[in-house]
Amino acid sequence: MKIEDLTKIHKVLGAGLVDHDGALIESRITFDYDAEKLGAMAARVIDRCKESLGIERTSVILYTQNIVLFTRETDKGIFFVVCQKDANLGLVKVKIDKLT
Amino acid sequence: MADELTADSGALIFATLADVYLSSGMIDEAISILKDGLVRNPTYTLAKIILGRAYFIKGNIEESLKILEGVYEEAQDSENLNLYLGHCYNKSGEPDKAQKHYEEALKINPENREAKRELEILRSRVPTIPREEKAEEKVVEKRIGEEPKKKKEELLPHAVIVGERKPTFSDIESKLKAAKPPSEVKPPEGPETKPPVEEAEPREEVTLPEAPEVRFPEEEVKPHEEIEITHEEEVTPHKGSQAMPSEPIEEVIPTTEPDVRPVEEVTPLEGVEHGPIDVTPTQEAAEILPEEPVEIVAPATPFDALDEPVKRLLNINTVKGAFIASKDGLLIQNYYKGRDDIEEICALVAEIYNDVTDSFKMLKEEGLERCIIEKYNETICVINAGDTLFTVITQQEAKPGIIFVYARKIIEEIQGILG
Repeated sequence: MKIEDLTKIHKVLGAGLVDHDGALIESRITFDYDAEKLGAMAARVIDRCKESLGIERTSVILYTQNIVLFTRETDKGIFFVVCQKDANLGLVKVKIDKLT
Repeated sequence: MADELTADSGALIFATLADVYLSSGMIDEAISILKDGLVRNPTYTLAKIILGRAYFIKGNIEESLKILEGVYEEAQDSENLNLYLGHCYNKSGEPDKAQKHYEEALKINPENREAKRELEILRSRVPTIPREEKAEEKVVEKRIGEEPKKKKEELLPHAVIVGERKPTFSDIESKLKAAKPPSEVKPPEGPETKPPVEEAEPREEVTLPEAPEVRFPEEEVKPHEEIEITHEEEVTPHKGSQAMPSEPIEEVIPTTEPDVRPVEEVTPLEGVEHGPIDVTPTQEAAEILPEEPVEIVAPATPFDALDEPVKRLLNINTVKGAFIASKDGLLIQNYYKGRDDIEEICALVAEIYNDVTDSFKMLKEEGLERCIIEKYNETICVINAGDTLFTVITQQEAKPGIIFVYARKIIEEIQGILG
C-alpha cells in the first residue's frame, strides 16, 4: 500500500512522510492544506512526545474542531495523515497500521 | 450524651458534655462533671481548659488562672486557652499578660472577635491614660453639671464607658454588676475602670465640654443612680458576666439618647447571668472535635459527583487509571491509585498539549479537543475539559472509542464543576 491509497479514503485530506527535522520526504495532499506545514507539525509533535515521555517509538492522534491528524514514527521517518473529523477514523487507523 | 457518660465514666466525652452544660449556663454541673472526668483522665488537657473556662464564668478567677496556667505548657496553641488566660489576666489587673495571650489567640485564629475586641481595648488604654483623666473631667462637667466634685470623681469613668464604646467582655460584666444589689459592690480596682479617650469621640457630649448645661438639661440626667451603678460595675468581676449575650447591652447603651440611663433599664440583664458566651461555644466545640475519639468524616467536595462516572470508566479492564489536571500541569484530582509519578505525567501531558495547540495555530486550526499518545506499553488519552485536561491511561490494546464514550460524561461533569 502506498500513501496514495490512503488519500483515496473518504474525507482523508492528505498524507505524507517527513524526517525528524520536519523536512518533507513524500506527500499527497488532496485538499487545501500545506504539506510542509503538516509535516513539520507532525515531526514536532512526535519529537515533543519522545522528549517529554521518554518514548522510543510513538504514535499520536490529535483531534481538533475540524480535523484529525495521525502521526506515527516509522523506520523511514514520521508518517502523517490528515482527515476530516467525521472521517472513518477506525478505517484510517487500520490502513496506517498496514502501511507502516 | 449523659447516658453515654453514665455507661462509661472513663470516656473522654465528658468534656463535650461539660461544654454543653456550660453553654446552657449549668456551670456547677459542668465543673462537677469535669472534676469527676479528670480524676479518671488526669492528662486530658482539653477538659482542663474547659474547667478553667467554667471557673472563669463562675467568677473564680484565681482557680481558673491556676488551672489554665497549669496546662499552658502542653497546649500553647489552643485558641481558647489563650483567650481565657487573657480574660483572667485582664480581670486580675495584669493587662500586659492579658495582651500577650489575646495576641496569641489571634495568631492561632485571626478571626477571633472576642480576642480582637479585648485587645483593642487593652491597647487603647495604656497610652491614653493621662488624657483619659482629662476627658473624664470634661464629661463630668457636661453631664453632671453641678454635682459635687466628690461624686464626679467616682462617676466619670463610667459615664464615658456607658455611651461611648462597643460592649465588651468587661462591659457585660459591668452590666451584670449593675443588676446586683449595692451590697455586693466592691470598691474599684485595676485598670479596667478607665475608659479609652479615643472611644469617647463618637459622642458629642465628650467633645463639647464647655457647654454641658445647655445640651444636657438637669431633668434628663439622673446622675446619682447612674454614677453609683456604673462605678460599681466596673470595679469587680462578677460570675457569669462574660456569658452575657451582646444584645441586651445594646439596649442599655443607646447612641441617640443621653448617656445617663436609669437603673431600671439595666436590670433585665439579671436573668442572663448564666447565659452562654455567644462566640465561645462554637470555638470550643471546634477544638473539641479533633481530640475526641470520634471518627472524622471527610467533607464532601464538588468532585464527589465524578466518582460514579469515573468508577464506570475505571471498571473497563484495559483502563489503568485517570486523573484531572489543569492546563498548566497541576494535578487536580487523581484516580490512578498506586502510581507515584502522576504529577510528573500531569506536567508532561500539559506541556505536550500546550505545544501541540500552539502548533495547530500554524495551520489555522483552533481548539485541540483531544489527543491519543501511544507508547509501547500503554496509551495516554488526553481530553480537553474546559480549563482542565482529563487524562486516561490505558493498556495498549484498549479501544480508544469506548474510552471517549465513557469520558464524555465525565467531561460534562468536570465542566459543570469547574466551568
